[in-house]
Formats: sequence, structure tokens, C-alpha cells
Amino acid sequence: MAIEMFRGFEFKRRDTLIHRLDPRTKLIMSLSILVSSLIFDKIIPLLLVFLISFALISISKSVTEWYKSIKGLSVLFLIILIVNSFAYSLSFAIAMCIRLVNFVTAFSLFFLTTHPDDLAHALISLRIPFEIAFAFSMATRYVPTLAREAQIIAEAQMSRGLELQKGGFLQRVRNLIPLIVPLVICSIKRALSVAESLESRCFGAVKKRTYLHELKFGLWDFLMSFAFLGLVIWSAVTTFLVGYPRVFTLELPI
Amino acid sequence: MIEVVDVWYRYPEGSVALRGVSLQIERGEFIAIMGENGAGKTTLIKHFNGLLKPQRGEVFVDGINTKESSIAELSKKVGVVFQNPDHQLFSSTVEEEIMFSLNNLNIDADEARRRMEWVLKLLDLERYRKRSPFSLSGGEKKRLALATILCMKPKVLVLDEPTMGQDFEQKMKLAELLQNLVRKGTTVVVVTHDVEFAAMYFPRVVLMARGRIIADGVPEDVLTNDEILRRASLIPPQATKIAWEVSRELEDFPRKIIRVKELYEAVISLVR
Amino acid sequence: MAIIEIRNLTFTYAGSDEPAIRDISLNIEEGEFVLIMGRSGCGKTTLCRCLNGLIPHFYRGEMKGDVIINGLNTRKHTVAEIAQIVGMVFQEPENQLVTMSVEKELAFGPENLGIPPDEIRERVERVIKLMNLENIRDRAPYELSGGEQQKVAIASVLTLEPKILVLDEPTSSLDPASATKILEIIANLNRLYGITVVLIEHRPELVMRYVTKIIIMDKGRIIMEGNPREVFSHGTFEELGIEAPVPVRLFHMLRKRGLGKMNIVPITEDEATRLILGLVG
Repeated sequence: MAIEMFRGFEFKRRDTLIHRLDPRTKLIMSLSILVSSLIFDKIIPLLLVFLISFALISISKSVTEWYKSIKGLSVLFLIILIVNSFAYSLSFAIAMCIRLVNFVTAFSLFFLTTHPDDLAHALISLRIPFEIAFAFSMATRYVPTLAREAQIIAEAQMSRGLELQKGGFLQRVRNLIPLIVPLVICSIKRALSVAESLESRCFGAVKKRTYLHELKFGLWDFLMSFAFLGLVIWSAVTTFLVGYPRVFTLELPI
Repeated sequence: MIEVVDVWYRYPEGSVALRGVSLQIERGEFIAIMGENGAGKTTLIKHFNGLLKPQRGEVFVDGINTKESSIAELSKKVGVVFQNPDHQLFSSTVEEEIMFSLNNLNIDADEARRRMEWVLKLLDLERYRKRSPFSLSGGEKKRLALATILCMKPKVLVLDEPTMGQDFEQKMKLAELLQNLVRKGTTVVVVTHDVEFAAMYFPRVVLMARGRIIADGVPEDVLTNDEILRRASLIPPQATKIAWEVSRELEDFPRKIIRVKELYEAVISLVR
Repeated sequence: MAIIEIRNLTFTYAGSDEPAIRDISLNIEEGEFVLIMGRSGCGKTTLCRCLNGLIPHFYRGEMKGDVIINGLNTRKHTVAEIAQIVGMVFQEPENQLVTMSVEKELAFGPENLGIPPDEIRERVERVIKLMNLENIRDRAPYELSGGEQQKVAIASVLTLEPKILVLDEPTSSLDPASATKILEIIANLNRLYGITVVLIEHRPELVMRYVTKIIIMDKGRIIMEGNPREVFSHGTFEELGIEAPVPVRLFHMLRKRGLGKMNIVPITEDEATRLILGLVG
């Protein structure tokens, strides 16, 4: 189940308006959703932010994946709902749940539609050194490999009679050693061999690296970026300066 | 010894790996399972020690239905040696590595000690007993991985691609060792891509393609059947290819040749 | 002038007390197809690492002697400089693919060199065409089969436009059908595009007909060097852990039997067929 949940954040190749946006635009959009959801604390405005971000998810044709991650967090939603409605009120509890949904949606929107290589690219254009950005994208690149390797190691050790579920808590922790040691050793070996291959392909040869796909900030990027920055400013102004319009403060009768 | 009855298996991602596989393996047999990547070989052998349970059909090991037993229980009967020894070595010495398998068996200390000495000697690892497994060479690691399974004295020994990355000498030594085990009554099943290796040493070859067994018999038949080899994406042994070429010109030249020795004999008998 | 020139090369890895290769001298001409054979641990891989400067720049240790690649001494030039002459392909395809699409993988090397995007695009398109990768250009590495992965790994060094390809057991983790395809690609690169090839391969019968030079190594030294017929006329070298092609083994068995006024060793299946027909017919 845990793995299913992460599927909701894994890049899916699709050709939509959102996928074509510059990764920096998507970063601004996602951050804007996050920030305005943090600023608002009432049901109606949070719902408004939700509708906007859900619209983007639909445009990017990623509703199924998004739904998987929401479903994966259903237990957490239940806890938030119960705790907050006892501690505060049901309205507040619902607002907090919508806030969390917005958070997840913001993350999904970014990771589902941004190619991991573009992510690194975006980081670099934000003046993060190439080596660090590249390490980041390499990490995502090798997640499936590592998961497969872990599976094989578990099977190999079970074939030697290891029973993972056997014994008390301490024994179970000890049972993990035969899994973790080979995984670490294999990863180090892999890292070395990847480094060898990187070196052989001129990694870090010149200070100013070029890119096959230059990032281009197009019309849609400007429009979207302004619109979402506007969302943040508007949420801050209504919350801290002028106060909510009346409809925003509507609450459930209980 | 092992009986696979109409087994189907589909991975959670949706790919069907086995489509109605049936196979009988008798005690003391020496079998090569061949086929291209994705043909279902590895999925099949994982059914032998219960790592996978059939979704349809049944697998019996020594009379026990694998659905009614645990991996730990089954691994006492069926030892599976995985391709890459790095996936299982973790102890600080060679001795401890072997002891780990033995401890999982719950046998008494004397017997464990005896078995360790036996397996160290059998696989020519005695001089490394206090060394770290990680300091061994690739071939030595492969032998140690085999030792950690052999010490459990399984009735059936299964090896996944044991010749991968091994040189000629190492392959010959491995074949000799396996033949000795077979002679002493162990059943040995080897998954391999190496058609020359299979032709050289195995009395029975099973070919798989797309989740099905498409041929099962003596290598002289299986490995010289052009049509079946093509379906399994395998290339015939070199000796076979030469024999076929020769027989195109020379009709009475034997076509069911798989080893260089037979090719040589065929030539000699015709020269006379 | 030889494109690869090795003079009295000895290398000992840091932390090891024995040299991995000893006193190796070797010349390789442009356009040659060189096959290195020998048992595991004989120094083949170490020799390859010396060819693009991974030794001494990436692997530390004590190096004596010189390696001159296309006139450049590997001691005085970085791996990145030499990599534009020598493309390296390794055993594990998975570890050579570091981006999330085939196209980006091909662009990776030139990008690192700061080559203008237009030219990168040109090189990438050329190699995609050359290697027939059009239908998988957008795939991520984990969506490719092992054979396709290795093909992409080769393609990704070709965009650096090397004159030499060094391949260290490129087929050892592949099944026979994929291995055949990879070896055919390597043979074509040599034959049609004149790329010098240095290949380590345990089962070389598929490329034997293209090989111009075989090097047999043992315990860090070169034991035998020459064209395949010359080398294999001396024996099958089983004692050196080598699996000689079946035609060669057949030849030596027949010769032992006194059946051979034959002086030319067959190294391909065709030649073995002709030899047999000659004897029998």
C-alpha cells in the first residue's frame, strides 16, 4: 500500500498543457498552492484553492494517480478529522483536511507532470550547482533499481532459511541485518561503477555545461506564474489586511 | 522429486510469467532450463522453494504441496543459489557466512561444524575461512554463495545462471562439482543461457518461451531442433551449426551433433 | 602511427601488493578489431581502464610506463579529453544510464563538454538514426530490456564521436539473442564506420570473422598477440581459461590425429565446414 501511495508522485509521460509548462512555472504553481493553503484556515477559501488545483490535475490527465495518493493517506485524514473536531470544531477539522488535500495535490501536480531530468534542470536554473541537482535526479532515477535489488536480496536470504517475521521485536530488527548489509554493499558497488561511467562521459569537464533542451519561459508560463503569484498575494491581503469577505467565514452549524 | 502441475503465475504489475507449466523432475536428475530473458525461467524456479506460490495449479516438492508449507521449511529441501553472490553475502568471515544458513536449520553444534568443514573442503574455500567474504574474487564469491546453500544439504539444488561472467576453467570446475553431487543423489536444476555449457554437460534440457515449456528432452534432440530453438530465441551450439552446414553438401553427415567431440568423431569415421 | 601505443606499462592498484598488469607493450592501428581474452582476474579490465585514462586519474595506484592515445599521453590529459577519442562501454548496462530518457542519455556526454545545443541535437539525431533508436527515444532506462539498455549505453558514448570503442564484457549480462545483436552492432561500427574496437568477450565466435588481432593475457602479462589464425595455430589455450571457438578445437583434434596437411586454422563456422568437406569429400 505504501508503494501504491508513492505512485501518486511518480512522473507519468503525457502531452498536456501542464506537462509542457516550464518546470520553474510548475514549481511556482505548486508553491503558491502550498502557501495560500497555509495562509487560509477556513473551509470556503481552502475549497476554492482546492478547486483550482484540482482543475490543474484534471487538465494534466492525472486524476487517477492523484486519487491513489489521497486514498493512501485516508487513515491520516481520519485522524486529523477526529482529533481536530474534538479539540476545536468540526468546521476547523474539515478545513484542516482540505488543507492537507491541497498539500498532496500541490506535490502531485509538480512530481506527476515534471520529468525528473527537468526537475534537476529547474533546480540548476535556480542557481543550485549542477552536481547537487544531478545527484537529486540520479537518486530518483535509481529508486526502481534499488527496490528491485532489495526484493532479490530478501528472496536470496529467505532461500537460506531466514524468516523475517520470526521472533520478538529485537530479533526482527536483527533479521534485517542480512538484508541491509548486502543492499548497502551493492549500492556502493553500483555507485562506483556509475561514477566510472560518468567519468568516461566527461562528467564535470567544463564549468559551463550546455543542455539539449534549453528551458523556455513561454506565454503560458508567464500567465500561469502571474496568476498563481496573484493567488498568494490575494490570500495574504484578504487574511492579514482587509479581512475575509463574509462568504469565506461561513461555517457548519455545529 | 519435484512435480509442477499446470501452474499459472501473473505478477502484480500484470505480466503473465507462467502459462500452464507442467514439469516432472525425478530424484538425481541433472537438468538445464533455458530460454530468453522474460521466458519465465526464474519465475518457475522460485516456485520450487515456495518464494512464489502458484495462482493456478500446484507444485509438489518431495510429496509436499508448496501451498501448505513455508519458504523456511521448503528451503531445507530445495536450495536455490541466486545469480549474484553480492545479493546474499553479509557476514564478517566466510565461516560465519556459512554458519548463518546452518543456524537457520536448528541443528546441533557438532553437526553444524561437521557440515561446515565438509562444504569448505568441497568448494575449496578452506584457506579463506577467516577472510571477509567481500575480499574474495568473483569466482570465489560464487563458490561461497553455493556453499551457503549446499551446507543445508538440500535434496534439490537449483542454480540461477551460475556461469554468467565465469571463464572456461571456472565453468568446467562447476560442472564437475555438480556432476559429483548428482552422482551422490542430489537433484540439480540449472537455469542457463549458455548453450555450449548445456550441450556439454546436461542429459536433459527444458526450453521455455513466453511462460510455456516448448521442449523437454535430451540435448541432442532439443538443441538441434531449429524451429524450437528459434521460438526460444536461442542459437544452436557451434558444433551443431557446422554439422548442419556440412550435411547440406553431404547428406549422410549426422545432424544431431552438439559437441565438438562428436563432430570430430563424425569426421574421422567418414575419412576412413 | 599507431592510434593506441602502450609502452612498458605496469600498474598496481593502491592497497594491493601485486601489479594487476605487468610490463605491457602494445600497438594498435586505426581501424583494427582487437579481442582480449584470458581467465578472470588476468588483467583484461585493468588494461581497458588504462586506455581512456580511468587509470591513473580515477583509480589510484602506481603506474609505470606510458599510454599514448592518438598522440595524447594519458598521464597529461584528463579522462574527459581522452573520452572524446576513446568511448568506454561497461558490463552492466543499468549503471551506465543515468538520465530518464534515451534522448537525454545520448545528449549527456556532449552536454558535459559544453557543446552548443544545436550541435548536440545534430549529434543525437545522427546517433539515433545510426543505432536505430527512433522508436525508444523517449523511454526511461527501466522501460528497456537489457539488450536495449546496452545498445543505448553504446549510443551514449558515440555522441562523443570517439575514434576508438573499448568494451569490457558488454554482453555478459544479456541473453544470447540480445548478445548477438550487440556484437553485430559492434562489428558494424568497426566495418562500416572504421571505428577501432577493443573488446573483452568470453564467447567471441560471433565476431571472430572481423577480429584482426587477438591478445591473450595471463597473470597481468600478454602471453600471445597476433591475428586469430596465427594465435590459434599454436593451440586452444584451455589451460589459460579460454574457451576457443569450436572450429579451432576441432582443428587441433584433427591435427593431433595426423589429419592435417592443413596449415590454416579455421576460426569461423564456414571455414570449419569447408575444412570438413575438404577432408571428407
